[in-house]
Amino acid sequence: MNSIIALSLFGIANLFLGFLNNRKILLPATLAFVLVALGLNLADWNQEYLWFNNMLRTNNLSVNFASVILVATFLVVAVSRGFGDDEEHTHPAEYYAIMLFSVVGAIMMVTFENLIMLFVGLEILSVSMYILTGTDKRNLRSNEAALKYFLMGAFATGILLFGIALIYGATGSFNIHGIEALVLTAAGGSAPALLYIGIVMVIIGLLFKVSAAPFHFWTPDVYEGAPAIFTAFMSTVVKTAGFAALFRLLGGAFTGVYGTWIYILYFLTMLTLIIGNITAVYQQSFKRMLAYSSISHAGYLMLTATAKVAHTQSSILFYSLAYSVATISAFAVLMVVAETKESNAEKTNENFDIFNGLAKNNPLLAFVLTVSMLSLAGIPLTAGFWGKFFIFSDAFQRGIVVPLVVAVLMSAVGIYYYFKAIISAYFKEGDVPAIELKPIYKITLIVTTLLTIVLGIAPDLVKSIF
Amino acid sequence: MVSDFGYILLFIITAVTFCAVALGGAFMLRPNRPNIEKLSTYESGEAPDGNASVRFNIRFYIIALLFVLFDVELVFLFPWATVFGNKILIEETDGVWGWFALSEMFIFIGILTLGLAYAWVKGYLDWARPVVKNSNYQSKIPASAYEKINQKY
Repeated sequence: MNSIIALSLFGIANLFLGFLNNRKILLPATLAFVLVALGLNLADWNQEYLWFNNMLRTNNLSVNFASVILVATFLVVAVSRGFGDDEEHTHPAEYYAIMLFSVVGAIMMVTFENLIMLFVGLEILSVSMYILTGTDKRNLRSNEAALKYFLMGAFATGILLFGIALIYGATGSFNIHGIEALVLTAAGGSAPALLYIGIVMVIIGLLFKVSAAPFHFWTPDVYEGAPAIFTAFMSTVVKTAGFAALFRLLGGAFTGVYGTWIYILYFLTMLTLIIGNITAVYQQSFKRMLAYSSISHAGYLMLTATAKVAHTQSSILFYSLAYSVATISAFAVLMVVAETKESNAEKTNENFDIFNGLAKNNPLLAFVLTVSMLSLAGIPLTAGFWGKFFIFSDAFQRGIVVPLVVAVLMSAVGIYYYFKAIISAYFKEGDVPAIELKPIYKITLIVTTLLTIVLGIAPDLVKSIF
Repeated sequence: MVSDFGYILLFIITAVTFCAVALGGAFMLRPNRPNIEKLSTYESGEAPDGNASVRFNIRFYIIALLFVLFDVELVFLFPWATVFGNKILIEETDGVWGWFALSEMFIFIGILTLGLAYAWVKGYLDWARPVVKNSNYQSKIPASAYEKINQKY
């Protein structure tokens, strides 16, 4: 829990480091900050604590989730390259500080014990994301994305808050263990209708944040408009934190009345999977395809978040890790290739065809892209395969057949659009000049790719910890 | 016995009654003879000029934003003050409580002061001045031509 305090202070420190007129120092400093936070986070391992008057609880589950979030943050920061050399229009100190602040919110969302802390964490995370989406101030799409995200996000937050208020009205408690006990006694049917309405509203608010259908309409525009580095951050950190929060509520506080929400969630899972995968097929833009792919991955995660089997949490964790690592390497490749192409063209091109002929001069980038696409598609010997395998076997054990069949079919559809990127990289004609990569960038790409392959060969390395 | 929210209700009732009695009494007692001078807006003796809803300069925006920020900070001081001066807590802890609460508040204000310092260094507290651009218009008539005309006449 000290990681929350440390990260807040580091964020402030980062803001003031920006006055040093030395942009080079910011990247290593931020990486060091995230590492220190990761260390502080791991120090809570195997201890169960309540913090700040029962507001937050740390246990192994929360330490695991926070670690996945911090690792993803570390990788995103490592591929950010200090946000270039444009002195006038980029403000790296502020960007890194806001990223650190948003991680504070994300860690609050995985450790909350009190619904108020869930709200505070969600807001810290969301407000930071609204700002980061709009950081490319001279780009109209970025501005539009930030405004859309803000308006829709504010509505979703309102719905979530209303749900929390109704739950408080029905149970008289904000504490999720208090609510769990009260919900269990009310499961006989004596609970006031407020409770059920409140639960559904809280679920809607959280599903919006993880971009599940039918609350996904903001996702493609926001992901496409935001600078690629922040899209990578958004689709990994926010999603992991959102699912951690959702799982802690569904698997804990709301278990007693699962009859009210379980069929809604099954339906939404199928809807999310179908909309995410089918729409992704028709995308011309690689970045937009990744946005729809993140919707469909939300669908897979929802499939397992709906119930508490003994190993549900480890499935969610493993899937989040595999998905985060693969997504970050995909975005990293997209960023360098789009930047190289940008110098020739007026407008930023992020379509599939920028990868045409990538393998000829940049074998490393093409390989990294291929492995990440294979992992996202769930091909064996990658981490993504085991992620999907654990989730499907969990669902099978619980006997939810119809959503499972939809999920399997849709993951077959997924192979089509992920392979489009591989095909353009290896089999299509095109000229991508040899791209000079900075050492830290290259190392990060190799690490993410190796992690994907190692976890694909030996998933128990990590799965046994979770 | 009234609950805590009961007290708030009592406060609301008292406030409404007080206003109603004071204003209603004045309304019944006073003579009512309006004229244009009396009905005009009071602006410290100045004659009111124009509408109140005019466009304000964008320069005020940042100052207003910073003001709101620190105004909100002040709101947090009020609930803190009641806990800070809590006699039972101070007696139970031999006065340590007071120092603890005081230092906590100083940390809170210190973090906000850092924010102010940040805004200061960034130059957001400077009054935004319009930048005067020097015209780079090059006249085709040389300056010596003007001098010659001045000498001639």
